[in-house]
Amino acid sequence: MKVLVPVKRVVDYNVKIRVKSDQTGVDLANVKMSMNPFDEIAIEEAVRLKEAGKATEVVAVSIGVAQSTETIRTALAMGADRGILVKSDETVEPLNVAKILKGIVEAEKPDLVILGKQAIDDDSNQTGQMLAALLGWAQGTFASKIEFDGDKILLTREIDGGLQTLKLNMPTIVTADLRLNEPRYASLPNIMKAKKKPIDEKTPADYGVDVKARLEVLKVTEPPQRQAGIKVESVEQLVSKLKEAGVIG
Amino acid sequence: MDFAMTDEQRLIIEQVRRFVREEVAPLEDKLDPDESRLGPDDYARLVSKVKDMGLHGLGVPPEYGGPDIDTVTMTLIAIEISQHRAGLYSPCYGSFGGAGLAHLYEASEDLKKRYLYPTLNGEKHGFFGLTEPSGGSDPARAIQTRAVKDGDDWVINGAKIFISGADKAEYGIVFARTDVGKGRNGITCFIVDTDTPGFHVRRVVHTLRSAYYATELQFENMRVPSANVLGEVNKGFAIANDRLSRQRIPYAASCIGIAIKAQEMCIEYAKLRETFGAPLATRQAVQWMVVDNEIDIRTARWATLDAACKADRGEPFRTEAAMAKLLSTEGASRVVDRAIQIHGGYGVTKDLPLERWYREMRIRRIGEGPSEVQRLVMARNLFGASL
Repeated sequence: MKVLVPVKRVVDYNVKIRVKSDQTGVDLANVKMSMNPFDEIAIEEAVRLKEAGKATEVVAVSIGVAQSTETIRTALAMGADRGILVKSDETVEPLNVAKILKGIVEAEKPDLVILGKQAIDDDSNQTGQMLAALLGWAQGTFASKIEFDGDKILLTREIDGGLQTLKLNMPTIVTADLRLNEPRYASLPNIMKAKKKPIDEKTPADYGVDVKARLEVLKVTEPPQRQAGIKVESVEQLVSKLKEAGVIG
Repeated sequence: MDFAMTDEQRLIIEQVRRFVREEVAPLEDKLDPDESRLGPDDYARLVSKVKDMGLHGLGVPPEYGGPDIDTVTMTLIAIEISQHRAGLYSPCYGSFGGAGLAHLYEASEDLKKRYLYPTLNGEKHGFFGLTEPSGGSDPARAIQTRAVKDGDDWVINGAKIFISGADKAEYGIVFARTDVGKGRNGITCFIVDTDTPGFHVRRVVHTLRSAYYATELQFENMRVPSANVLGEVNKGFAIANDRLSRQRIPYAASCIGIAIKAQEMCIEYAKLRETFGAPLATRQAVQWMVVDNEIDIRTARWATLDAACKADRGEPFRTEAAMAKLLSTEGASRVVDRAIQIHGGYGVTKDLPLERWYREMRIRRIGEGPSEVQRLVMARNLFGASL
């Protein structure tokens, strides 16, 4: 079984982001970048499948600027076998990412694609679902557990009020939620081995995709500052204040 | 010339940084501000993670089972693992293991079996006994502890001071004079078991560093077999000079680590804290303190990495290591001092790690050769041995 895992280069989760003064986006100059944490979980799951003898090859894909190679290298150090970089200096929107991934899936023919459920930069949560639709494959989103039942996947997902278990036909698309696993630390020997693992370089045009943006960002702003609250003396005062604020009738 | 990290170094640093941030720092919320040890369960858990990373035994040569990394990479790691409250004297609470005393690597196979390997396994602990009440920076003259040959033994009499961990150690390295009047060529290095009759820990010496204390030792007719002479008689002083210079590099690096952490705290706090209607960060007085911090940190970092580079290339690096030690300890002392100033009253509370770093950094300008001795080392190299 071959597993494909897309990995995205995003601002490190520990960085306090700053909005650019012209409101066109977030300041990325000299900001620490890392692999999207949900993608780390996806890689970890794929590598565990390989270690359990279920997967034969794990391929990591990243779409973005040249430095996305670093993100692929991290995936290789965690245990992926090889990488594909689809280089683009443009912002690639989720639908275009899904179209490029469809092209890669058709070329690589994986049995399973594991994606992070969303990227922590734009929080779109669209790529996995769009990819499943474009391919006409089954999808199991927000996975918190993956098991195998013969040639089918039993996938547990967290929904409001409980856990839902899906039985999915292969090939399939899975998106990883936070509790699927805890990603490992890449070991020194594996980091050294990652150096020798191959990374193919492609462009969106290789997959016939025009990455021109279809959405226009009007402005990006800081969240509004939270106003200070007040202390009320009694229930009556609380009710009247809530009425004043228009939260109750 | 390239100041950038390699892909491998970047990846290793990312792993180590995550380890410090996610595994080590959160434990400190529940520890005493001056703690230097973890409970056995937490310690075992961290050690096992470090072993999985392949980084256990940091500083141990690869042929003895340590990770196969160069001095530059080790320096970069040392800068990371000190970035928490106990990080200066107990980086990651010892979960990266230790290399043991540099001198042991130069010992005979018999001594290695008895002392080095058990140390690397964590079964034995050793102390380093050089400094005496008469001094430490000029041991060639200051060493008054005498060792006299008697049959197949040496009989040692004398005293040592500021010796860390001697009361809990199974053995120690002790320097003693074996030929009076020969200066540095009359000193021999012994390995002494702490259960030898005549070995006394006379008192605990309390210092600014509240976590680990120093001790004062007294030797009274302590008999040490000839087999426990490390190296050659009267040549104890030439042992491990290269390794000792090399040790100055991670020593410097750990100071840079806490300076980086203190600087992060300064920037964050200066943006939040308001005085007279505006954040501290808008005040030029505070901006310049933060800029001076950055200059101190970067200067020390470059100098330390330069020393590590030279060591890796097999070039002489004594001057560079001395400069790195001096710039890092003095620079990081200034950074922590400014950080306390920016944090005001909170800076001196035990709620923040700054006061601990402030006390420990003061020792760092003295330990492992004070700033003046580092300057002396550099002067000797600049003027030549003739001076």
